[in-house]
Amino acid sequence: MLRAKWWKVLSFVLLLYTCTYGFLVKVPKLDDRMKESIRNFFFHVPMWFGMMILLFVSLVYAIKYLRSGDLIHDVYAHAYASMGLVFGTLGIITGAVWANYQWGSPWVGDPKQNGAAIALLIYFAYFVLRGSLLDIEKRARLSAVYNIFSFFMLFPTLWILPRLTESLHPGGQGSEGNPGVNGKDMSASMRFVFYPAVIGWTLLGVWISTIRIRIQLLQLKKEGLV
Amino acid sequence: MYHLLATQVANQEGFMVQNGKIFLVMTIVTIILIGLFIYVASIDRKVSKLEKR
Repeated sequence: MLRAKWWKVLSFVLLLYTCTYGFLVKVPKLDDRMKESIRNFFFHVPMWFGMMILLFVSLVYAIKYLRSGDLIHDVYAHAYASMGLVFGTLGIITGAVWANYQWGSPWVGDPKQNGAAIALLIYFAYFVLRGSLLDIEKRARLSAVYNIFSFFMLFPTLWILPRLTESLHPGGQGSEGNPGVNGKDMSASMRFVFYPAVIGWTLLGVWISTIRIRIQLLQLKKEGLV
Repeated sequence: MYHLLATQVANQEGFMVQNGKIFLVMTIVTIILIGLFIYVASIDRKVSKLEKR
């Protein structure tokens, strides 16, 4: 699975499709609120979907580590979490650029924006924790436990709280009146780009994670730890 | 005359200058994407070589 080729090619094909057809596909006009910027749906939103999927994979390996004590699972969990965070960071930066033009300021204190920032900060502490422990077993065990905690913090910060209040993002209460976009505004033709985009970006993330895993495993083998 | 020439040039370039030159951006994004994938694939190959050793 780590070295199989077909899904790497699939990722390339899907992203090539996203980056060409994503500019060509007819998008809804939405009384000129968004204009062409609605195409960010193919780039900004898949960052978050990709992040959530990679962080979920990381969670699975963290649990696996706690059950097995096998250091390889720790390597997997770490690699997927860091790639997930790369996506999250890109998501928050692209979001700030988009918000600057759509909402008037890069940071408007939108509940989803704040929640995403909190979620990312909680995950950043995962890497601080890892960096501060020298004992490999202890580092793997503690970071696996913390990884589980940080994943479950995504529930309030990203999935629940922003939906309970008014938000400029789709899905929040009162979003019908927001100057941004409503989830229902995505037309059927846009979905034909959006879902392939999510799969494409996620597979690219998986690919980069597997390369990291393979390098890490080579390192551990050299040190005689696996 | 000049106007005629201008439209001719626009027609020659055609696709790239339609719709506020968004397709120019599309081309650049595509080039970046291809470059990125070539780079990731080359790292993948290098790691494969190391693994075989």
